[in-house]
Parts: sequence; C-alpha cells; structure tokens
Amino acid sequence: MLTDIITPQAACFADGVQTVLRGHENRSRRVMLLQGNLVQNARSESRGVSARVAKNGAYGFASTALYTAEDARAVLRAATDNAVFLAHRAAAPGVIYPALSANPIPPCRPIVDCEQKRIIDLCHRLDDYLAKTYPNLISRRVIYTEDSQDKIICASDAASGHVTYPRCYLYVFLTAESTSGAPVELFRAFGGYGSFEDHFADETVYYEAIDALYQHLMAKREGVYAEAGEKTVILGGMMGGMLAHEAVGHTVEADLVQGGSVAGPMLHKRVASDLVTLVDFAHTAFGAPTPLPVYLDDEGTPATDAMLIENGILTGYMNSRQSAARYGVAPAGNARAWLYNDEPLIRMRNTCILPGASRLEDMIASIDDGYYLIDSSNGQADLTGEFMFGVSLGYEIKKGKLGRALLDTTVSGVAFDMLRTVDMVSDNITWSSSGFCGKKQPMPVGMGGPEMRCRILIGGR
Amino acid sequence: MVDLKKTSDALCRLAAETGAQGFSATVFTREKQELNTENDQFSLYRTTFDHGAALTVLTEGRKGAASGNDLSDEGLSALAQSAMASAESSQADEANAIAPCQGAHTFHNGPFAPDMPRFYDRLTEFLAAVERDYPRVKLMAMIADHTATHTLYANHNGTAFENFDGVYHVVLEFAGNDGARTTGFHDAAVAFRDLDTPIMALGNVAQALRDAQDSLTTAAIEDKFVGPIIMTPALAQYAAAMLVDVAMSGNVIMAGTSLWRDSIGKAVASDKVTLRLAVDDERLAERDPFTSDGFLSREVKLIEKGVLRSHCLDLYAAGKSGRPVTPNDGATPIMEPGDDSLSDMIASIDCGLLVGGFSGGHPGANGELSGVAKNSFLIRHGKIVGAVNETMISCNLLDLFRSVTAVSREAVCSGDSVFPYVKCEGVTVSGK
Repeated sequence: MLTDIITPQAACFADGVQTVLRGHENRSRRVMLLQGNLVQNARSESRGVSARVAKNGAYGFASTALYTAEDARAVLRAATDNAVFLAHRAAAPGVIYPALSANPIPPCRPIVDCEQKRIIDLCHRLDDYLAKTYPNLISRRVIYTEDSQDKIICASDAASGHVTYPRCYLYVFLTAESTSGAPVELFRAFGGYGSFEDHFADETVYYEAIDALYQHLMAKREGVYAEAGEKTVILGGMMGGMLAHEAVGHTVEADLVQGGSVAGPMLHKRVASDLVTLVDFAHTAFGAPTPLPVYLDDEGTPATDAMLIENGILTGYMNSRQSAARYGVAPAGNARAWLYNDEPLIRMRNTCILPGASRLEDMIASIDDGYYLIDSSNGQADLTGEFMFGVSLGYEIKKGKLGRALLDTTVSGVAFDMLRTVDMVSDNITWSSSGFCGKKQPMPVGMGGPEMRCRILIGGR
Repeated sequence: MVDLKKTSDALCRLAAETGAQGFSATVFTREKQELNTENDQFSLYRTTFDHGAALTVLTEGRKGAASGNDLSDEGLSALAQSAMASAESSQADEANAIAPCQGAHTFHNGPFAPDMPRFYDRLTEFLAAVERDYPRVKLMAMIADHTATHTLYANHNGTAFENFDGVYHVVLEFAGNDGARTTGFHDAAVAFRDLDTPIMALGNVAQALRDAQDSLTTAAIEDKFVGPIIMTPALAQYAAAMLVDVAMSGNVIMAGTSLWRDSIGKAVASDKVTLRLAVDDERLAERDPFTSDGFLSREVKLIEKGVLRSHCLDLYAAGKSGRPVTPNDGATPIMEPGDDSLSDMIASIDCGLLVGGFSGGHPGANGELSGVAKNSFLIRHGKIVGAVNETMISCNLLDLFRSVTAVSREAVCSGDSVFPYVKCEGVTVSGK
C-alpha cells in the first residue's frame, strides 16, 4: 500500500486555483500458457505522483515517477505553471466548478500480493486439466492477469481519501477445428474485484463453467453463418452489458455530448422502450458490491450512482466536475485516471441495464425465426449511437427452440433506434468486468445487463 | 535526475549477482509535453516525467521478467529479486534465450528537446485553418505532444544499445457537423520530427477533414450485394495489422492455428501486394532501431508480390517453432504503392464502397471478418455518390488480400507507416 506523502502537501496548494494531488501505484501480474508452454511470466509495479491544477477553467497537469514529498511539491509547481500558461492564452475563461464536500473517504480493501509461483502453478494445473479432459482441442491458452490500483487523493476543495482497486482474472481460451477445417475459438474469464486468494484458492470450482464452454465450442465447430440482415434476436446478459456500455454509455459521457453526440438534443426525451432503465452504479447495486466498486474519483468527488435512462427517458449524463457545472448538475464521481501520469477523464464505472419481468425460456419460445446471441468478443460505438459488437457465441432460434450454433459474426445498430425495439427484458442480470475500456487511456469497467428481445442488424454471408 | 548509464550498470550487476545465467536489462527516461484541446479551445497542458526499468533473467532454461519505476538502489535490488523469483517459479524451456551479441550502438532520432513556442504556434495555426477551411467540421479533441525518450538496453552477451528519440505527435478526433446533423467519429494521427510543415499538410489530415465534411451527405444502401471495395490507406494499414496477427504472428504460429504456417515461399496474396517492415525509411518519423528482444532491427519483407517471405517471430516463438527470428518489431510497416491512380480505381467500380474505417470483431484464425463500414462512401457508376450509414461488410481477411486487383500510386505517410489505397473484390455489403 502507498505511504501517504500526499496529504501533508495540502499546505502547499496555491491560492486562486483548484488543485488535486494524487499518489498512484499500479501493479500488474501476467502469466500466459500457450499449449502448456509458459510464454509470458512478468511482474510490474509503477508508482508516481501527479497534480492537476485548474485556473479559470484551464487545466495544468504534471507528474513524476519519483515519490517523495519534494517531488510532490515539484509537480504542484509545474502543474500550476502549466495552468497559468494556458489561462493567460485563453480567449475566454472556461467553466469554474463549485467546491464539494470535503469529508474524507475511508480506506477500502487492501491489495494482497501473491507469489508468482502460486500463479504459475495455478495456470499449469488448469492447463493440465484442459489437456487431459479435452484432447481434441487444436489449441488452448490459460492467462492470468492482475491489474490493481492504489491511490491517495487530496483535493483543495473536494473530498480526499485512500482508495484501492484490486482486480485479477483467469482467462481460458479453447480452439477446435470446425467441420470445414478452419479454427473456431471461445473464451471465458473468471475472477474480478479482489486478490488471488479471493478467487483462485480452488480452481476446480470453475470446471463446470469450463465444461459448458467446451460444449458450446463443440456446437460452434459445426456452426453456420448467420443470415445477414435485420433480425429479431435475444441479446444475452453479456451482450446486454456490452450494449449498456458501448451503445449508450459512451454517447452519454458529457465530453462526447459536448462533442456533438446524438444524446445532446435528447435529454429528457424518449430514447428507448419503457422497459429500459440504465444506471452507472458507483459501488453497490442490487444490495451487493458492484464488479468494480468506485468510492472516490480522481477529482475528489465521492462516487454516487448516475441514472442515465429511466423507463426509456434519457435523464442524465456522466460528468466531470467541470462538465457537471456546465450542465448545472452534481457530479457523481466519473472522472478517473489509469496511471499516475494520466489526467482524470470521464469514464463509466459499472454500467447496467436493469432487469425486467420476463423469463428467458418464454423469450426464446416467443421467436419463430431469429437468434440468441450469448456472448461478445468486443464492441465499439460512435457519436451517432451507431454501435457494433462482435458475437463470439450464439444460436439460431427456429420456431421457438434453439437450433444450430453460429460462427463468429457481428451485430450493429443505432442505439436509440434499437432500444425502442426492446419488447421483452429478462428477470436476471449477468455482470462482466474483465475488459478495459479505451479512451486515450485504458480503464477497467464493469458492465451488466439482462437478456433483451429486440430487432438488430446482424452480419453474415 | 536519473543517471541512466549508472542505473543500467547497477541493474546488470544485480542481475548477475542473483546467479542468473543470462539477462537483458532496459532502462529509460521519458519526458512528454502535451497540449490538449477540447472543442477548439486549449484545455490542458500536461507535462510528465517518467522513468522505468525492465529486467529479464534466465536460469537453467527458465525465464522470468519484472519491471518497475523505482530506480533507487533498493528498488533495483527488489526488481532483480522479483525477476529471479519469477524465473525460478517457471519451467525450463529450451526456447528461452537472450539475443546474441549485436555490438554497441548509439542511435539518434528527431529533436530531443521540443520547441514548444513554435509547436504552440503550429497548433494555433492549425486550429484557425480548420475553423476557416472546414466550417462543417467539429474538432472535438486534439492531443499534441512531443515525447523525448532516452533508452539503454544491455544484455549479458555484450549488446549495448543507446537510443535518443524525440518525436512530435498530433492525434485528432472530429466529426462532420452542420448544426443539425453530426457524422460519426473521424480521426487522423501524424508523427513528425520537425515543425517546418503545417500540420494540415501532414499525412492524411486534410483528406480526413474533407471526408468528415463530405460524410454529411449520405447515400442509402437498402439491399445486399457482393462487390469491390477500396480501402483507404488508414484502413489498409489496419487490415495489414490484423493479417499479421491472425496469420503471421508468433502466437498463431506456435499455436498451430495460422493458415499460413507452412506457406513461406508460396503465393498467399495478389501479386500486387508487397508488405515490408521498415527500419530507416527517410519518410518515417518513428524509428525502432532495435527489437524488444535485443536484436538490431533490419528491413523485413513479409509479402513480396504476393509471396509470403516471413512470419513475425520473436526470439521465443522462433525457438519454439524452429524458424528464424524476425529482426523487426513491426512498428513501421510499409505497403508498396502500385501503378493505378485513385481516380481510375474509383472510375472502375460500377457498384462498391470506398471504406475509410472498420468497426468489427477481431477475426479469428480463420480470417472471417464482419463489421460496420465507417467513414465510407458509396461508389455508383464510377463516382462517389455519398456517405453510407448502418452498412455492414463481411469477408475473409486472407481472401481479401488474395483478391486485390489494384493498388494506388498515391500513398499516405503518417509518420509511422506508408500505405496506398487498395482495391479488393468479393466483399459482402449489406444495408439496413
């Protein structure tokens, strides 16, 4: 855990500016087995201190990889100089934001380290299991990753605190040969918020899920191409989460709204069917911790939930302190930075479409000719709300029953058009959090959703 | 102030003291000066001072690596212990190795100290030009930096590289916007070593801004067809990178999933395709004088007139697969231009697309690819008739490079790559 050299420097904050000083450490662990061969075996720590200073709405930022009180004071001076440089050249002053509650946020969960040998042994045990249990695979990969953050935040006019984000995952990739001789692949991630011991003390608890993954792969190796065109589909919970993040979440980040996103003119208007409610949760959802709990952001804003769409009506954006002041709302703690030398940007935390009342079985039975799209490989979205998800796992639905598996395909649409077609929402939630969102900096995010029946454009041959 | 030579020497000594039979050590310092704009106004001035160290050790055929940025005596000692502990936890593998001696070399690229007042003036000049010449473009963000990196690499075999690298970069994110309508994201990125040229004249900056404005005029595709597409240089570079990943990279060769694993010397693409990894092409601002494995970088032909000449294998992948090391990390690819003009390529198409971007899933080893055509224009009867929306394209990536029928003589240099326009056949295009 970081030693607090940060808080005492508050006495050095300059007058007439708004300052946040941050001590920040990232830790990563990587192990990768490819066909049983150890192809990655690395540990990394990076630590430093940064300061962001706002003067007349212009930001100065400075950081150093050194971590002493003297270095902290040096970056404060450099950031202040940078802010003054820009403020003097600005044609007009920017938005100056109000002070926030200065209540300190208490320390959260500690980051517990694990010997590299335990990680490697875990990966080998799992790889041995895969090799013995599934001999017909043409390739297998086991990857362990840990990406943890430890931050001490001290703000001149907002909250301060010491917050941690321990996070580790185990990825299992299985590749088989399709009936046409081409390789097909599926993967699944296990783990989440917490350290090694929290998730991987006994890897056998994941065998059942790995076996299910293998069964899907066997179906996929005999899979068919989806028929291209607009179809009625059920988006699985993982796809629902991707939709919440990519298709809607990005368009309602306030910096993109300022940049002309489709959400700009839609505030307080209908953008989805009334079955759709979307929330960016801070740290607690449905009475339990979110996949990646955020208690305090990197501008010193205590984190609270952000309601984005309520019963189909767009109700708000995700904000920094500056954009919140621009829109006349309270910030909810969305400004986060990835490394010590990164400035805070508006980021999602745990973006989730809330569950409905339908049962998945009934939803499948309701479709005569369509698809059940279970899992996604990646996703991207645009200012216009046009989105794309890669679909790695899906099945045909014919006359209300699941049919053949699908080969890899893609779905796309325009978020606010597609969400209006949602006419059934399931009563359960699937969360995922193993990925990174990319926006100048990478950032861990959680996303969740129920199954949803909707109309969507699907790629194919 | 970090004494990099002293730090490198200390790390090498500590690595030897752990009992490692082989090691390589990299240390660096980096200073970045970055100016950001948001919606046409300077919004952030960011200065970062970074340094770090990375150590790889070998002991009895086992390999471990650690990296960090605590360069104090205690920090370096902990780093060496961590790398050794990783190695001792791993399995022996005869493919684990450290690169052989490459000698001692010092490299210089670009200005190590930025001229920030002149850079600021260039950026201000650019913002004014966008406002004046592209009134229907909304410049959402500009990230402009000068990054100076000093790196030392050394290994136990006697290699000693020193590199001083200073390069300017500008990344732009923008959209066509006429007040009532907005297009999707457009972007452009350039790297350059001097400030002699206006930013508007670099790479594809002006063309990308024009494309964003033109994207406000749309043309509908309501059906599905199979036909030709022209990839812009930016998309051709992206497609080539995916091709390397699914057919030539170490992971797919070692996994045995590459469909080109036994294709060296065979025709895998159209004879109009020549793709190489450059080292010191004068047009490029970025230089990668040595690989992350510790080899001197050399020019590598991947595909020559359609024939596969090399995979992309690092030292471990080469050892594991019994093939030669590729002495180039691939940061500066070049596709050779052809004989056709872009205008002739467009005129040759009765019904097809000019595709500027692709938003889709990463292809699997089979190369199957589908996704949304972004920043793309419909071509009808030899003319561009408008931008397309909600249009998907599907193809096989490997087949795409086999189907190339024309490569433009115009090529765009973005500072880290040079690519032409590329015409391919047989792509499935489907509208809403």
